[in-house]
Amino acid sequence: MEKVLEVNQLSKSYGNILAINNLSFTVNRGEVYGLLGPNGSGKTTTLAVVLDILKANAGDYKWFDKPMDKFTRRRIGSLLETPNFYPYLSLWDNLKIVAKIKDAPDDDINYALGVTNLLKRKYSAYHTLSLGMKQRLAIASVLVGNPEVLVLDEPTNGLDPEGFAEVRNIIQSQANDGKTIILASHILDEVEKVCSHVAILKSGDLIAHGRVGELLTTDDMVYIQSDKMDDLEQTLEHADFVKRVFKSDKDLAVVLEQGNSVAGLNKYCFEKGFTLSKILLKKQSLEDQFLQLVK
Amino acid sequence: MKKLFQLEKIKTLSYPAFKTLMIIHFLLFFLVVLVVSRIHFSIPGFSIKGLYQFPNIWEFFPWIASWFNLFLAIVVILLVGNEFSFRTFRQNVINGLSRSDLITGKLIMIFTIAVYAFIMVLLAILIFGIIFSNGITMDIIFEKSYLILIYFIQAIGYMAIGMLTALVFRNNALSIIMFLLYFAIIEPVVRVMFKADARRFFPAKIISNLTPTPEFLTMASEKSFTTSSGKSSLDFQEIGLMPESLSLGLTVILATGYIGFFIGLAYLITHKRNL
Repeated sequence: MEKVLEVNQLSKSYGNILAINNLSFTVNRGEVYGLLGPNGSGKTTTLAVVLDILKANAGDYKWFDKPMDKFTRRRIGSLLETPNFYPYLSLWDNLKIVAKIKDAPDDDINYALGVTNLLKRKYSAYHTLSLGMKQRLAIASVLVGNPEVLVLDEPTNGLDPEGFAEVRNIIQSQANDGKTIILASHILDEVEKVCSHVAILKSGDLIAHGRVGELLTTDDMVYIQSDKMDDLEQTLEHADFVKRVFKSDKDLAVVLEQGNSVAGLNKYCFEKGFTLSKILLKKQSLEDQFLQLVK
Repeated sequence: MKKLFQLEKIKTLSYPAFKTLMIIHFLLFFLVVLVVSRIHFSIPGFSIKGLYQFPNIWEFFPWIASWFNLFLAIVVILLVGNEFSFRTFRQNVINGLSRSDLITGKLIMIFTIAVYAFIMVLLAILIFGIIFSNGITMDIIFEKSYLILIYFIQAIGYMAIGMLTALVFRNNALSIIMFLLYFAIIEPVVRVMFKADARRFFPAKIISNLTPTPEFLTMASEKSFTTSSGKSSLDFQEIGLMPESLSLGLTVILATGYIGFFIGLAYLITHKRNL
């Protein structure tokens, strides 16, 4: 698989504060890669470093197997933090600047304004836009030049539910076109719905990464207790209807494969010689899992 | 290069403060030369009219124009400072410019503004010169015409310092204040701490001396000036009573050197700092 971005043991600190610590991950072509983490976990810093805006203290990164240069940056459409535009210029002129830098044709500007529903405001000055429109213009500027890679930092910031859905549609259609997308967000739902892969950051550390389906699931969890917990855990690990089993406080948490019931689990344990003293079925939300991961 | 010029054109021409300041710059210059030309004042050996005749006008008009270089410097400070307050330098780099491109773009803008100011003064000189001079020959017309080129260098100098100030402070109000403080207070105070000889070599001094007060407007020449207290005549140059003794050629060379140094510093700062 072709590597789009490879980050290698990257560290960046602001004075005494370590913003990212020894971070490594790889994004391959065609992936929608989510950087998930609470505010201040280092998502924006990571993106700012790989876009060559901030200088890293240690480590390196490669785009398309090369060090970053301005020609590589033109192949990447990036939205970092807040939208940055010239307030006195019209939307058209603002995107014209982007198009000129990226050597993109003027048609791209109309296309981008069309996709983001801003065509009728084409000649308004940027400062007259509402917050949501500004955010949409930022998305539009990312699309100018038809880049192979999109880097989006909290792209739904400040949008209403409608705008939220629109932006998600844009991201999904770009992903369907085979674009590689790197999406930083603190909104779990957003990452879960659009990303194929996810890296979870917590105060600068990478605490987990992998496929979204493997890392974040909405499966129900069964908490059980018995007198021989260790033996029970080992037995269940080998049972084919169990997806995952792990210790959680005094309980064993069990995730069942689709189509299996709690009654079935109870029966299986009894047959293997374990008497369960507690069975508790808990519907688990993504938020619970996320909070568990970043705890 | 062409791309950077076009980018600067879009950014600059629509900027309201740019238009306002350039119009004020234009009006003030023409107002001063017009009003002064209407004054009837003459003493033996000197008349206002003489200032508007070739070749003296080549000295007089750039000197007047140099009063308003401050406007050009402020325009540049605003345009560079805005890139920081709008975070657009950052965005330009994300979109695909190099850090050097940012500075090169601003230098192209500075050069263009200097060309504009040059043409403005040149046209004014030709118009007023032809109206006020009588019995002109080509030789007389162009005798001191090189002085306007020196004005061009000076305009670039002020704007280059303006750009550097904005790159260092990254804030419009602070940059303008620091720029004014440097020219009006900081450098003059620092200069006084040096020996009289050394004072002539400071950048603001050198750059403002590119368009010295026309000779026929100064009160006395250096040679004829003696003081009862026996003070060095250089002290009087310091307070602007007398023309400088550094030759114009040397001043131009030093000024160009300073400008080159400031531009180099601008590139260096932009490469080293976070955006």
